[in-house]
Amino acid sequence: MALFRFKDSKTQDLSESLARETKRQFSQEELFQFAAYDPNAGERGGYSDYSYWRSTLRAFRKNRVAMFFLCVILATLLFTFLEPLLPYDREPNTIYYSEQVQMNLFTRQPILDEAGNPVVKVALAKDMRPGSEFWFGTNAIGQDLWSQIWSGTRNSLFIGFAVACVDALLGILMGVLWGYVRKLDFFFTELYNVFDNVPQTLVAIIISYILRPGMGTMIFAMCLTSWLATARFVRNQVVIIRDRDYNLASRCLGTPTRRIITKNLLPYLVSIITMRMALAIPAAINNEVFLTYISLGVPLETPTLGNLVEAGRKVMSEPLLRYQLFIPVIVLALITISFYIIGNAFADAADPKNHVN
Amino acid sequence: MAKYIGKRLLRSLLTLFLIMSIVFILLRQMPIEGYFQNFEKMSALQIKVGLQQLGLTDPLPVQLANFWKGVLTGDLGVSHKYRVGVDVLEIIAGKMPLSICIGMAALCISLLVGLPLGILMARSTRTRWKLGDKLGTVFVVVIQGVPAAIYYLLIQFYFSRLPGASMFFYMDQPTTWILPILSLSLGNTAYYAMWLRRYMVDESNKDYVTLARAKGVPTAAISRKHVFRNALVPLVQFIPTSVILTLMGSLYVESLYSIPGMGGLLVTAIQGQDNTLVQALVLIYAAISILGLLVGDLLMALMDPRITLGKKEGGR
Amino acid sequence: MPTSTDNIILSFQDLDIRFTLRGQVLNAIRGVSLDVFRGESLAIVGESGSGKSVFTKSAMGLLDANGTIAGGHIWYDGKDLTTFRTEKDWLAIRGKEIAMVMQDPMTSLNPLKTVGDQILEAVLLHQDLKGEAAKAASIQALAAVGIDDPERRYKQYPHEFSGGMRQRVVIAIAVACRPKILICDEPTTALDVTIQAQILDLIKNLQKKLDLTTIYITHDLGVVANVADRIAVMYAGDIIEVGRCEEVFYDPKHPYTWALLSSLPQLGVKGQDLYSIQGTPPNLFYEVHGDAFAPRNPQALNIDFVERPPFFEVSPTHKARTWLLDPRAPKVEPPEHIRQLREKGGAIHD
Repeated sequence: MALFRFKDSKTQDLSESLARETKRQFSQEELFQFAAYDPNAGERGGYSDYSYWRSTLRAFRKNRVAMFFLCVILATLLFTFLEPLLPYDREPNTIYYSEQVQMNLFTRQPILDEAGNPVVKVALAKDMRPGSEFWFGTNAIGQDLWSQIWSGTRNSLFIGFAVACVDALLGILMGVLWGYVRKLDFFFTELYNVFDNVPQTLVAIIISYILRPGMGTMIFAMCLTSWLATARFVRNQVVIIRDRDYNLASRCLGTPTRRIITKNLLPYLVSIITMRMALAIPAAINNEVFLTYISLGVPLETPTLGNLVEAGRKVMSEPLLRYQLFIPVIVLALITISFYIIGNAFADAADPKNHVN
Repeated sequence: MAKYIGKRLLRSLLTLFLIMSIVFILLRQMPIEGYFQNFEKMSALQIKVGLQQLGLTDPLPVQLANFWKGVLTGDLGVSHKYRVGVDVLEIIAGKMPLSICIGMAALCISLLVGLPLGILMARSTRTRWKLGDKLGTVFVVVIQGVPAAIYYLLIQFYFSRLPGASMFFYMDQPTTWILPILSLSLGNTAYYAMWLRRYMVDESNKDYVTLARAKGVPTAAISRKHVFRNALVPLVQFIPTSVILTLMGSLYVESLYSIPGMGGLLVTAIQGQDNTLVQALVLIYAAISILGLLVGDLLMALMDPRITLGKKEGGR
Repeated sequence: MPTSTDNIILSFQDLDIRFTLRGQVLNAIRGVSLDVFRGESLAIVGESGSGKSVFTKSAMGLLDANGTIAGGHIWYDGKDLTTFRTEKDWLAIRGKEIAMVMQDPMTSLNPLKTVGDQILEAVLLHQDLKGEAAKAASIQALAAVGIDDPERRYKQYPHEFSGGMRQRVVIAIAVACRPKILICDEPTTALDVTIQAQILDLIKNLQKKLDLTTIYITHDLGVVANVADRIAVMYAGDIIEVGRCEEVFYDPKHPYTWALLSSLPQLGVKGQDLYSIQGTPPNLFYEVHGDAFAPRNPQALNIDFVERPPFFEVSPTHKARTWLLDPRAPKVEPPEHIRQLREKGGAIHD
């Protein structure tokens, strides 16, 4: 981790040279002679140079909880991609059958044949509890929950990332237009005023209701208005770049616009966009669960965490089957909490006010 | 002030008009199968008559004009699925009071719990171990990080076993009201606590607090008289958001506990494709959210002498 | 000019203040001793970051949470303020004994409380008054700092006041505490030049009327010349020269004081570049060896890099921390224009 060492080489050199300087021994007479004057020595005494990104990374790294959840999320992401390659390969949508001992419905005893052996029949492998054959058990129609969970996580994360990316891309593009093209200002401002007033979930509900349910619909429904907030933010930044005193001063001193953008606008923008994306992902997953609950979700043949939670909810009154609810709930909560904490920790770390200590 | 409110109201009406027109037009694009119970068995003529009865055969602008004429005369149409032939406003009017009652109760609880929690967390940031702050933060993170849909479900699942509580809501058993209201209040509680803490910490680093300390005001009095009051002002901005949170939460909570309110009704109406009912409910929900924004802005102006409404157009 | 020891009202001895910043320790104040005499007006001068604010704040227990007093003593009224731990201890000092006027009047008033309320708060805490009498005293305090129509202004909010008026209100608050010492931390820096003189006059008058001891913190030598009886020059967390106003202005001994005085725009010669001190102050994250100013001083001696100079007495009231005053040191004359200051005299009193 030497890369992140706070004392950069420059300050290291400085402190060493200072130490060398003072270790020199002088004789009594020499002590009161003029020292050689180095006009640059005074400049070297200054404070160590400050790098925004280094300080941001440092502040983030210091947040142990956030680092832990970052590892969790990276591991999860990696695993959702690796999981299909594991030797345990079952299709998430395949319905499995297995040999099962027939039970007498009334006595709850195995039915025996003439020889006294239990009668074994091949039947739907439904509602099988987690075990060596089905690691997370099976669901109500005999699908393998392990593969369903990971494929669901993959799909839910895809929805989340897609929404976050569209949000960021469209938001930046429109925001820059909004800020730079003055003719569009009125149009965008009115658009924002209208749509900012409507709850996003309501928009998502209406759109999913009207269009045919599916991943595309869901992503579309969630993106439809969310980019407006990002765009407005970007627009405000652009206006600040245009008009704020320190940027004006910077421009007066001949700083090229490119440099103003990379030094003054970009750090702030990138940090806020990253945070928004980190928070948009759990929000999208959350919305997905909710839309699924009011039966506007993705069709069942596409496993998502929302679908899995909803399926689990339906059987939750049966104590033996609660694993079908809890496994997806735990995975989902872990993912959303991780993103939430990372997003907030990054926002704190990116705030120069927190670079002090 | 009155002029400003008038202007804002007018603007809100315009917003509402635009949104409802969009929603109305979009709803007309839905497949027609949804309007009938047994579409497959119906003849072409039956379908045509049915559509005519619903007023869906007119050109879209005419339908839209009829809709707004209806809105102005207080007629939002009749339900054709949920309770066939009954005026949707009548259906909603029967359910709205309960929803408002539950929503208000939840908001009150959020304020009563969230604000003290925020103060406690802010105070705890000055102590050695910051224990209160850490515990509070865990609460906030869990509530905000875990989807509401999930923790509503878990609360219903685990706490309904407590004596008096139940998986379902019964009007005549007050104890069954507790769980839904509590669930509904959690999101806002965390929200208020988090922001009040942040604002109080921000405020306590300001110069006027240093001056108050320098003039010898005890810390407790500073945090009560100076910091809290100032931190509360930006918090007022969140009232609209919390109204929206409560509205959306009520959709889920009401249908989870089978509460005969408006939120559960929207879910039912959507599942049954009862378009007139959906339309009316969306109109009401949008109106409430817009009103929430207005109230937030007005409260802000009331609390902060520096803000004078009307000078800056739509100053938000 | 009071000089005898029993007239000392506040005394700093070998004060060390450290801050923990970015996981590193910053030595903000490095073994500073200073006596403040009853009834005088003392100016602490130095560039930003030299530690002058921190130094005075330590006497009110107002250091930021990451700052600690690592050594030394602050004596006030027979008590050592560095031993104060609880808020209760400090409440007996803050306002009651020492009050403060801060730099930016725009931010130092609570925007949501009326000006009257904020003065009343101080009156109720420190004057034995209640109810109507306290309110009358607050209005009186507003009038005393030269605010017209105090009854009406009493009910107004800070945003209805101009910058200069707000600073008057801040002064009214400080004075309403009935303190013995008034610390003015850059009281005019944020104000228009035209207002600055008014505010300084106001503080001077109040000092006379209420028998206050005032400590000015400033980087503006013009302010100093106007108000100070004595001057303490601070550099990199240390006081390097202290003396009566005319001593420091007309007979400065430390090279840093020379440099500081040379930076006065009034000393500039038309057509020539204004003087500026080369380099930047040292990084206080590292231990400073010898004289902190040495790396920026063209006439530094070898010993300046090795050993911290002691205070050499120039006169009973004037001393400076520079090896140049050591008998073994070569004779170094202050720059020509500094010597001319005495003749120019009036220039700094603009």
